[in-house]
Amino acid sequence: MDALRATALSKQYRWSGGTNQALKSVSLTVPKGSILGLIGRNGAGKTTFLRIASTTLLPSGGKMDIFGHDVVQETNLVRERIAVIPQESRPFYWMNPRELIYYFLTLRGHTREDAHTRAEQALSELGLLEYADTLVSRLSGGLRRRAMVAMVMASDAEMLFLDEPTTGLDPVARRSVWEAIRKAAHAQRTIFLTTHYLDEAEALSTRIAILERGTLLAEGSREEIAQKVQHPYRVVVSGGFTQGELEGYGEPTWLEDRWMLFTGEKDAREISRMALERGARLSVAPVSLEDIFLQIVGKDISRDEEGDDEGA
Amino acid sequence: MKERKLASVLSIIAANGFLPLRRQPLFLINTLTSPFSFLFLIFILGGPDLIGYGISGGLVLTILSIGTSLQGDMTHYKADLKFQEMVVASPVKAGTYVTGMALSEFVFSIPGMCVFILLSVFYAHYIFLGGLIVLATLILLWIFASALGFTLATYLADMRETFMIAPIISIFLTVVPPVYYPISRLPPVVRPLAYLSPTTWAANLVQGAMGISSTPLTLGQGLLDGGVLLLSAAILFLVAWKKSQWRER
Ligand SMILES: Nc1ncnc2c1ncn2[C@@H]1O[C@H](COP(=O)(O)OP(=O)(O)OP(=O)(O)O)[C@@H](O)[C@H]1O
Ligand SMILES: [Mg+2]
Repeated sequence: MDALRATALSKQYRWSGGTNQALKSVSLTVPKGSILGLIGRNGAGKTTFLRIASTTLLPSGGKMDIFGHDVVQETNLVRERIAVIPQESRPFYWMNPRELIYYFLTLRGHTREDAHTRAEQALSELGLLEYADTLVSRLSGGLRRRAMVAMVMASDAEMLFLDEPTTGLDPVARRSVWEAIRKAAHAQRTIFLTTHYLDEAEALSTRIAILERGTLLAEGSREEIAQKVQHPYRVVVSGGFTQGELEGYGEPTWLEDRWMLFTGEKDAREISRMALERGARLSVAPVSLEDIFLQIVGKDISRDEEGDDEGA
Repeated sequence: MKERKLASVLSIIAANGFLPLRRQPLFLINTLTSPFSFLFLIFILGGPDLIGYGISGGLVLTILSIGTSLQGDMTHYKADLKFQEMVVASPVKAGTYVTGMALSEFVFSIPGMCVFILLSVFYAHYIFLGGLIVLATLILLWIFASALGFTLATYLADMRETFMIAPIISIFLTVVPPVYYPISRLPPVVRPLAYLSPTTWAANLVQGAMGISSTPLTLGQGLLDGGVLLLSAAILFLVAWKKSQWRER
């Protein structure tokens, strides 16, 4: 069964001064037990989508189901199975992480014993045990964020919505959050997260969705998305080639002391062969998610700009 | 998980009422400061004759402050901490959250309540019936204050607005209407205006029960006062319910 199913979902914000079409007919499914990483530039509509799914914002059109329950019609059934960390949410400063988790769980209806056990487990999973009794007001920003993650992870929610859960976390802390998220997915919980760290989306997500100005540009596993780009190889050469020569294969970018360009497989082979003959230093690798993102979103932006030119 | 109303309400009372108190015991006397300042001024300026008004006004003000802190906390949790959103996306229903919050704010007013109830008993020597009337009035007033706090919280977007609006509202509910003085002190032409404030009706009840108003409290008048209080609370709740952005549009 799908954990989330959105069909032609749209959202238009309205206020007295105007409107903003934040989502334009987005259709997306998230299988149960998967980790979906939603990426996109600032203002792309990630938070808007996540808030509609987590029943804190009403959509303007289309349909969205969580575990088969409509988020508008069957809100209560949805709410019994989800938990969310909103973007820029902050913990109560007069509690310590242990209390934060404990009271969040008893608020959600867990018994005291259950809340206690779950709190200890979450503290240990997220590496928060040594800070468990430190007041939030004395914790660093990253530790506060981790305490928020621990709060929702500790709950029994089957689907977790995490809006930029790792913003401000150090590399080690980020990995402990990843570990906790992976463990949750193994336990058949579904994770919907947004992030600006593409390496994170790549390392963590079983599925990736790219949103740009309210439109879903790509969705699928890392490999499926890589196939969508025209140039799945990243070629870097130093010496042995002129710019003009490389322009025959793509759009080379000068990186201080070498050229970088994205190519298809055939061109990558050809450049490699030539580099070998000429004794030039060369590296060829599949594109990273960041490269894919820039290619997909970049194409969308430039297409739009062309459109604007025609209109002018 | 299904909603467990009682567990949720108790959790909020503990987390939002008792825990902050344990961390910062000054919260306990915080709600005492305003009513005591008024009591002190009234005693200095008016002498022992008027002190009854300082006490009955203090009771009303103490309960009303529950509404003010409820509003402040709810706006803070919604706008600054985004905690409300975490509650919305959970099995906990809006009514449970508001009830829990309103009860947790009550915790801070316990000292003020105790002090002023004791003072009123010493002052008025009222017996069973009077005490019952005062208690009933305070409960109605608590419902009204919570409704007011909830309504305001749905309209005020952030704490900046709160700091601006809350004192103004407080003045028009406690200082201007005859809460700290008998309504007979107002010129007859403006007296009807005083009845626009629900606190006038509450003060009328408390002053009557304490036997300090010029006209004794009749059963009919008492029921009318209580009815108006309850009605205004109901209207406010209705407005809040209709207008509250539990889920953003
Ligand atoms: N409450 C609101 N009222 C009006 N417009 C809004 C509101 N919230 C968001 N928007 C607009 O909707 C669009 C999408 O915003 P959203 O917050 O969903 O983006 P995002 O992808 O989460 O961005 P970021 O990466 O910066 O968090 C933006 O153009 C934003 O300005
Ligand atoms: Mg966002």
